[in-house]
Amino acid sequence: MSTASVSTASVNIASVNIAFVCMDADTLGGIQQVTHTLAQGLAERGHEVHVVGLHRAAEPFGYVERPRYRRHVVGRGPIGGEGAIARRLADRRLAAVLRGLAPGYAVLTSPAVVPRLLRLLPGGVRPIGQYHGSYQHARGSWHLGSIRRHYPRLDQAVFLSEDDALLFSEHALLPNTWVLPNPLARWPERVSPLTTPRVLGVGRLEGVKRFDRLISAFALASTPPWELHLLGDGAERERLRAHAAREGVSDRVVFRGRVAAADMAAEYRRAALLALTSEHEGLPLVLLEAAAHGVPSVAFDVSGGVRSAGPELVPPGDVRRFAAALGELMGSPGERRRLGAIARRRAEGFRLDGVLDRWEAMFAHMAR
Amino acid sequence: MPDCTVVVITYNDADRLPRAVRSVLGQSLHDLEVIVVDDASTDDTPRVAAELERLDPRVRYLRRGRNSGGCGAPRNDGMDAAAAPYLMFLDSDDELPRHACKSLLTEIERTGTDFVSGQIARLYEPSGRIQPYYPALFRERRVVEGIAAEPELFLDSFSTNKLYDLAFLRRHVLRFPEDIHYEDHVFATEVYTLARRFAVVPWVIYHWRRAARPTSISQSVKDMDNVRHRVEAAFRSDKVLRDCGRPELVPERQYRFLRQDLRVYLNPLPARDLVWAKEFASVVRPYLATLPPEVVARVEPLTRVCCALILADRVEELRVAARSLTGAGAPPRTAVRDRGRTYWGTTLSPEMDITTLHLAELPFTAARLRHEVSELSLDGDHVALTVHTYDPFGALPSDWTAFFAYGGQRLPIHPRPSGDGLVSEIVFRPVERGDPRIGFTRSRDGLTTTDRLLVNPGAAPVEVNGFSVRPSGHAALLRVVFSRDRHSIARRVVRRLRAELFRRLSTPRAKLRVYKALIRVVPRRKDLALFESDCGKGCTGSPRAVYDELRRLGLPVEVVWSVARNRRDFPLDARLVRRLSWRYVWTMARAGIWVDSHGFPLDYPKPPGTRYLQTWHGQGIKSIGFDAPDLRADFAAPREQWRRAVDRWDALVSPSEEFSRRFVPSNGYTGRVLRCGTPRCDVLVRGEVGPHVRKRLELSDDRKVLLYAPTYRDSAKNSGASVRVDLAALAEELADEWVLVLRTHPVEEYRVPEPVRHFVRPAGSYPEINDLILVSDALLTDYSSVMCDYAVTGKPMVFYVDDWDDYRLSERGVYDDLPSIAPGPCVTTTAELITCLKALPAVHTAFADRYAAFRETWCAEERGDAARRVVEEFFAPPAAAKAARPLLWGTP
Repeated sequence: MSTASVSTASVNIASVNIAFVCMDADTLGGIQQVTHTLAQGLAERGHEVHVVGLHRAAEPFGYVERPRYRRHVVGRGPIGGEGAIARRLADRRLAAVLRGLAPGYAVLTSPAVVPRLLRLLPGGVRPIGQYHGSYQHARGSWHLGSIRRHYPRLDQAVFLSEDDALLFSEHALLPNTWVLPNPLARWPERVSPLTTPRVLGVGRLEGVKRFDRLISAFALASTPPWELHLLGDGAERERLRAHAAREGVSDRVVFRGRVAAADMAAEYRRAALLALTSEHEGLPLVLLEAAAHGVPSVAFDVSGGVRSAGPELVPPGDVRRFAAALGELMGSPGERRRLGAIARRRAEGFRLDGVLDRWEAMFAHMAR
Repeated sequence: MPDCTVVVITYNDADRLPRAVRSVLGQSLHDLEVIVVDDASTDDTPRVAAELERLDPRVRYLRRGRNSGGCGAPRNDGMDAAAAPYLMFLDSDDELPRHACKSLLTEIERTGTDFVSGQIARLYEPSGRIQPYYPALFRERRVVEGIAAEPELFLDSFSTNKLYDLAFLRRHVLRFPEDIHYEDHVFATEVYTLARRFAVVPWVIYHWRRAARPTSISQSVKDMDNVRHRVEAAFRSDKVLRDCGRPELVPERQYRFLRQDLRVYLNPLPARDLVWAKEFASVVRPYLATLPPEVVARVEPLTRVCCALILADRVEELRVAARSLTGAGAPPRTAVRDRGRTYWGTTLSPEMDITTLHLAELPFTAARLRHEVSELSLDGDHVALTVHTYDPFGALPSDWTAFFAYGGQRLPIHPRPSGDGLVSEIVFRPVERGDPRIGFTRSRDGLTTTDRLLVNPGAAPVEVNGFSVRPSGHAALLRVVFSRDRHSIARRVVRRLRAELFRRLSTPRAKLRVYKALIRVVPRRKDLALFESDCGKGCTGSPRAVYDELRRLGLPVEVVWSVARNRRDFPLDARLVRRLSWRYVWTMARAGIWVDSHGFPLDYPKPPGTRYLQTWHGQGIKSIGFDAPDLRADFAAPREQWRRAVDRWDALVSPSEEFSRRFVPSNGYTGRVLRCGTPRCDVLVRGEVGPHVRKRLELSDDRKVLLYAPTYRDSAKNSGASVRVDLAALAEELADEWVLVLRTHPVEEYRVPEPVRHFVRPAGSYPEINDLILVSDALLTDYSSVMCDYAVTGKPMVFYVDDWDDYRLSERGVYDDLPSIAPGPCVTTTAELITCLKALPAVHTAFADRYAAFRETWCAEERGDAARRVVEEFFAPPAAAKAARPLLWGTP
């Protein structure tokens, strides 16, 4: 997979038609951010790009200021609670968008999209299915069954890392796997000096992110003046506050709430470390962004995607060893700078241009 | 230049050729060529092929001048004509799945190997069912560094399920032999031997279509020439290995012959006549005679017995033995035992030794008898059977009664002694489908053993009353199925339509909707209680203990028990309602009291006024509630559902301080907690167990009892993966001293392999785990909560924790470090486990302090009166309740 995709990375490909189809294209979330970044990038390379939402976002978010691609929302309501007639009308609008695409590619961004689209796909439009989670996450939910059933019929099944692609090819018996990492939308010029004694945790405050483990590890590892800043909001906030108090670090765990995307660069520059203790991750953008800012990371080894981003790895769930890894880096500015520099070099591989080359290489592979 | 050449060989198959070619032209790899090689067909093939050539420029047609009579010559022709760097073969009656070419091409480019091999699957034509062939060989996607690394792969001797680097084939001048069928066996052997590296992929890349009526060579196994060619292919394959300078691989190829080629003919042998069997034996014998004894010794015992019978030209016995290879693995007609060994038949020769099957040591309920139907006929509107029963291992006692059973039907029979066994005359009228069995019940203790009936494979089916009584499978087991006549088909259609209509009306969604309406209008009955244990799987656990206490006190509460489908062993006096039936929905709405140990259907809100006692079903080190894997995924809905389900609880039984500290917060529970000990454990404190338990499990007094109770793995429920101890090794070392009672978790499915049935008593569905705890002498577990209950008894425990790191870190998650708190040794290999069990008293003594501490943590409050205290606290006297709440309960 890697050899094929890297060796053909510099192909020049004629302009193609591409539609990204999401359950909900405009809500704030990882899949959406990646989709809009790719859509804009591919459009700027001269391809005709559409982004289609099957449902309307309750709180739409503008990812790209001046989009060079076309946007469609075919459903009138949010996900769930849609009547049969509304659904049929939405399908009709969707089919019209797809007909205009042929010949071209439809990128189906999640397992819920695939069975619905496969029924509507006109000839000449080749389906590509993405999965933005890890194999471990799919295994614990309906996703693996759905991928096993529907993805073999697609022209290409795209995963975030070599390891995940291998696992899906074995356990979902997929003959058509391909690997495309998530791209970094921007490449920062300035890096973090790594001098502020601050550990960052970034993400929704939800169960799956397991910030409770991060707080415990931080409590085990740190002494003042080190602080843990949690960027994000969610249902678990009060539970986590109580947990921080139990662990005796409520004065040094700062709940910052949601931070605007534009301000994130400044946050990374004021951080010395990034920590990721999630139960499940695909290929988390925060790891890539931190690395791009020269900030070293410590993460649980929960997926091939996490491994590919190159953080310091700790066996999943092992809070003690996580604390030990954090503690070591807190105590050594030299080691932080060394790992930070390595991380930034590694993050080069996820720059938008390179990832777009890999998309075009995949289109070339599909045309063989 | 195309990327890949696909050679399609054909002979007189004009009808199916277009299907095969279209499956190549429709590949996701566009840049390929198809070479149709026609072995001088005499049908319409030239015209059909020319049409295919005209429609797509990627098709080339080659016609041989003379028919070669095989597949070798046309494949060689195609190979010579190929223009692409990579090559595949396809037969005109088969098909390639859509991604076959591109996925193999990508893999060979990625790995740089000499060829790539993929999963081949049979596609059965009328039904379209797809069955992978030896899936275990292909399960892992990998690069193999030469066949010596994995000689098991000799089992895959197809030439079609592979994509070859043509330069590799040409460099070694690899060609198919042209004078035999099974040319691919010789070719594959040579390819395997010469390839330095090859890759294997797990997905299906070849559909081997099996027509309803056999037409191709491989389907005509009855043909004696077929046997000759296969044997010749085996001789030549062995020669290829020697000629290539790889004699060490010859035994591996021979082992394949015994496991695969020989079985192709042995499995259906019972259906052949004596003349065929005799000729077959004479054809195979010369090859078998070349096999060294150590190769034959590797194969499983009954195939080895068949080899010996072929070599000795004992063909009649061979047909008897071959029936044991498939189906239910019938026992022999006779066997002899001598100095602890068991032999098939009547001779004490080492190649007839079947001791490792342990058939002679099985407990009575698992004993094997051989029932042969010597006559199957129609007797008026009844079916008449004459059955000859053999008891080769002397399992039958002097006093017994016998019956004949199928489906839910059962009728007494009266076998009488005759020569070397028993003969029964059975007359019955079939009224439902089923697999007939003959059972013997031992008068002494009422235990029963049953076994299937073998029938002559050539016997004509007997049709009566809309049913057909007939042989089924290679072993020809007797079976009662629906007749195919029009009348009974019509009846079945009507029945199915009715069931379908009912199914559509009573969906879970409809039931939930009706329930929600019901609870608004129906008043609660405060003296009606709905009890459920383990989602209806049994009448056990703490709900059972509370129920017994209610009955003992004679409180005026009417109890209805929820029972899951197909469950037995509920007390006779209990009123039952099937879980999630309409009556259950009604009872949920009506009952003023709910008691259960897991959770009533999660989406069902609790009606106003109903009081819900949650007893829970275990405590221990495993992460639970919102910390458990099923609620940790990135979906909010299951967490919300559980939160609402927990909010229904009015009282929770907490067995210990530790439980209150862990379980209560990790489920977000804030209601009333009853600290009374565990009702379920009262009987363990009292320590009484009835004699029926030992009898039912067939435990004799001369063996100690080891209870093995592993918990399930969240990622592999119903897979048998939780049984991690090597039972065969354990049996080998301990069967003289111990017997193992295997209690798998309720969400696990595991079938005990017959060769360890003499040592292992399956108890996964035994109704009451407390019986097992009380009757056992020691516990073997991994992370199961049963350890906390077992500690009440003070008996030894051993922990098999070979996957501890995986389990604690990613698989499940735990709250405690088991190895440092366990009240017994933690071992990681079966060898260590055996050592521990052999020195158990000393080991147990050494852990006395840890045991005491463990009991202090988990069992400090177990005093044997938990049920009484729970009833006192929760089922307060109705009079007092009335005084405290003057309003009627439950009126909304």
